[in-house]
Amino acid sequence: MSPLALAAAQGEEFTSPGKEDFWWPILGSDSSAWTLTRPAVMALVSVALIAWFLLAATRHRAIIPGRLQFIGEGAYGFIREGIGRDLIGSRDFLKFMPLLFAQFTFILLNNLFGIIPFVQYPTMSRYGFPVALAAITYITFHAVGFHRKGFVGYFKDLVPPGLPSWIVPVIFLLEFVDKFLTRPLTLSLRLFANMFAGHLLLLVFILGAEHLLLTGGPALKVAGVLSGVLAIVMTFFEALVEVLQAYIFTLLTALYIGGALAEEH
Amino acid sequence: MVTPAPQRPSDDGPEGPLQEARAWGIVSYLLAGLLTYGGLGLLLDHWLGTSWLVLVGLLTGAALAFYLIWFRYGTR
Repeated sequence: MSPLALAAAQGEEFTSPGKEDFWWPILGSDSSAWTLTRPAVMALVSVALIAWFLLAATRHRAIIPGRLQFIGEGAYGFIREGIGRDLIGSRDFLKFMPLLFAQFTFILLNNLFGIIPFVQYPTMSRYGFPVALAAITYITFHAVGFHRKGFVGYFKDLVPPGLPSWIVPVIFLLEFVDKFLTRPLTLSLRLFANMFAGHLLLLVFILGAEHLLLTGGPALKVAGVLSGVLAIVMTFFEALVEVLQAYIFTLLTALYIGGALAEEH
Repeated sequence: MVTPAPQRPSDDGPEGPLQEARAWGIVSYLLAGLLTYGGLGLLLDHWLGTSWLVLVGLLTGAALAFYLIWFRYGTR
């Protein structure tokens, strides 16, 4: 049952939105790990939409680009010049562009699902999705680091050169934990927490407005209108957060890859 | 050592994406410092039956993280 129907069915009683509002099974039991859920379907739909858009944008390529081609090229150029070339370096960045651009478009659209009318659910508010994306980043940057510098060389390169020698072991431990533990943790948590909290915030204002308007007295109805106005304001704010988080995730992926490739010595 | 030519992403002033990305990376270092050395302090406390080494660990971790952030990003 949708949160709206749920709130309506409960009549007088207002239950504040919580983590149950993020569980949307479509096919399968309520507890199985293989249950097909709404965010899973949305992730699949987003891939189809992005593929369709990019194919449409590049089908009729012209010197003077049409509107679709202009948007497509603009987005790609932004990631390529603004993130890839700057953070990975001009020698290596090209072969990572498919990863960076795919990550950016995938996260961006799935985040924007949070405010697109009638969808209004950010896929990344289910922690499994950011974890999978962070895992791709994690495996990629360590793999290219080991490949470029060798097993021992990569570990040697964790510590920046020029440190006093007595402090090297403690800094090595810190760098090791940073690169192998807290980087994937912060990368996935940042995206998840932003989307989860943002969606919850919108739910509070929208469901609160609905409840106040439907069941409240005259004074509460005014509060309901205010809550509705705030819901609209917060929706625009969420749009900003959603774009920013897609950008930051891609930015950090590029930074980590660039760091794994860069020669410190 | 025979390695490919040195290559660092170009420094792009105080505003560019490199600086922005570094700012986000700092959180990760701070967390790593607190987790690693706070965790070590906690383990030592457990073994030795003391209760103050976790605090020493947390402070050491934070100090080391600040030092590393300064060394990495502040000195060049």
